[in-house]
Amino acid sequence: MRVVPAIALAALSGATAAQGQSTAHARGDHIEVSLLSEQTALVPGRPAQFGIHLLHEPHWHTYWINPGDSGLPTRLAWALPPGYRARDVTWPVPQRFKLGDIANFGYSGDVLLPVTIDVPADAATEGGVRIAVEAKWLVCQEECIPGKASLALEMPVRAEAKVDPANAAAFATARAALPLAGPTASARVLGDTVEIVVPGDREGVDAFAENKQVVANTPPRFARRDGDTVLTFARSDYFASAPTALDLLIIRPGTSALRTHAIFQTR
Amino acid sequence: MKALSLALAAVFTLSASASAATVGAPAPDFSLPDSNGKVHSLAQYKGRIVVLEWNNPECPFVKKHYSSGNIPRQQAEAMSAGVVWLTINSGADGKQGHVDGPRAKAFLAQYDAKPTAYLLDPDGKVGHLYGAKTTPHMYVIDATGVLRYMGGIDSIASTDKEDIAKATQYVPQALAELKAGKAISVTTSQPYGCGVKYGS
Repeated sequence: MRVVPAIALAALSGATAAQGQSTAHARGDHIEVSLLSEQTALVPGRPAQFGIHLLHEPHWHTYWINPGDSGLPTRLAWALPPGYRARDVTWPVPQRFKLGDIANFGYSGDVLLPVTIDVPADAATEGGVRIAVEAKWLVCQEECIPGKASLALEMPVRAEAKVDPANAAAFATARAALPLAGPTASARVLGDTVEIVVPGDREGVDAFAENKQVVANTPPRFARRDGDTVLTFARSDYFASAPTALDLLIIRPGTSALRTHAIFQTR
Repeated sequence: MKALSLALAAVFTLSASASAATVGAPAPDFSLPDSNGKVHSLAQYKGRIVVLEWNNPECPFVKKHYSSGNIPRQQAEAMSAGVVWLTINSGADGKQGHVDGPRAKAFLAQYDAKPTAYLLDPDGKVGHLYGAKTTPHMYVIDATGVLRYMGGIDSIASTDKEDIAKATQYVPQALAELKAGKAISVTTSQPYGCGVKYGS
């Protein structure tokens, strides 16, 4: 992707010049978007934690990796120095939104989408590097408005780094909002339904599939069978064939969630 | 045995939607007035291929496919091959993208779009009948009245016009395959767009 000079960025998106800071900021319609670094510097060979912070106006929301019946997930395109690599977003547990028949998964209020960036072991520890990202989102109340911003941080590369106190709380909150790793489950298609069997007695009030075109976006039914937890979903209206596996979040009472990888049984 | 009967019971209580539209089954009949007040029914077009397109002129996904010329072009190409193209608006009065006849015509004129008709479904009856979730949301019905495709306009979910050329356009693909007597390679896909702004 094209690297836009910082001056042009400010003109385009209202992004602040981020020299010597760990936050770059932009304002879109009904949302404020920032690029945050957890640490004050990058350390060669050590994964670095960054995040896209979304602050929504009340009643507006953006979307999870599976947006549900409509909408679009927030997408990030990174522009990094050679040897650096951005991993996928570690999506926090989303909320369910319901508007008539339309079910969606996403975020309102204040959320951080964490991204780990791998720093090459041979990165030189003098000077700095530019960590840039183009974020694209769809922000909706009932109407939807697409938005995008180019954000960049000039990060020093040093032998050691400290947590930036200005961003420590945002990253701590984000970690607390991540799903917990759950057990591997099994899945099968039964007529117009998809059944997921999760080992053990699992408390759940809802479940969201990360993959599209497998299960409907309506809540599953929970039941116990032989000491296991059985989730029965309606099959998606757009189901074409069973994938190898389905990743899903089991939402527990409260707001925590268990992420499980359900492998489809071959018949 | 008990598990099986429970699973069967679940089929009815957990159905994804109340929609009667199923690929491979007869498409449900309907009749709706167009932007000129003329009533069109699906049944009257038996013997011809029919495309249904759910529309909301204010939706950014719809704007992507109109301002780029993608949907108007697909309409023109399909209709020159004898296909009937019905654009349908299920937005309720007072919601974003709801149109009356004159506003529907102004929208089509703005993009030089000429579908067979722009149908008005403000109470959402036909939208719910087909389980239309998004704008756009596309359906292809063959000449015998059987639903052959339902889902998205194309394979790249975005609001960026630049993605159109890289995406598989499912409706022209299905129409070409139908015309050639071939099996339709993609019969369903995940629709993407704005939620249809139903009143209830």
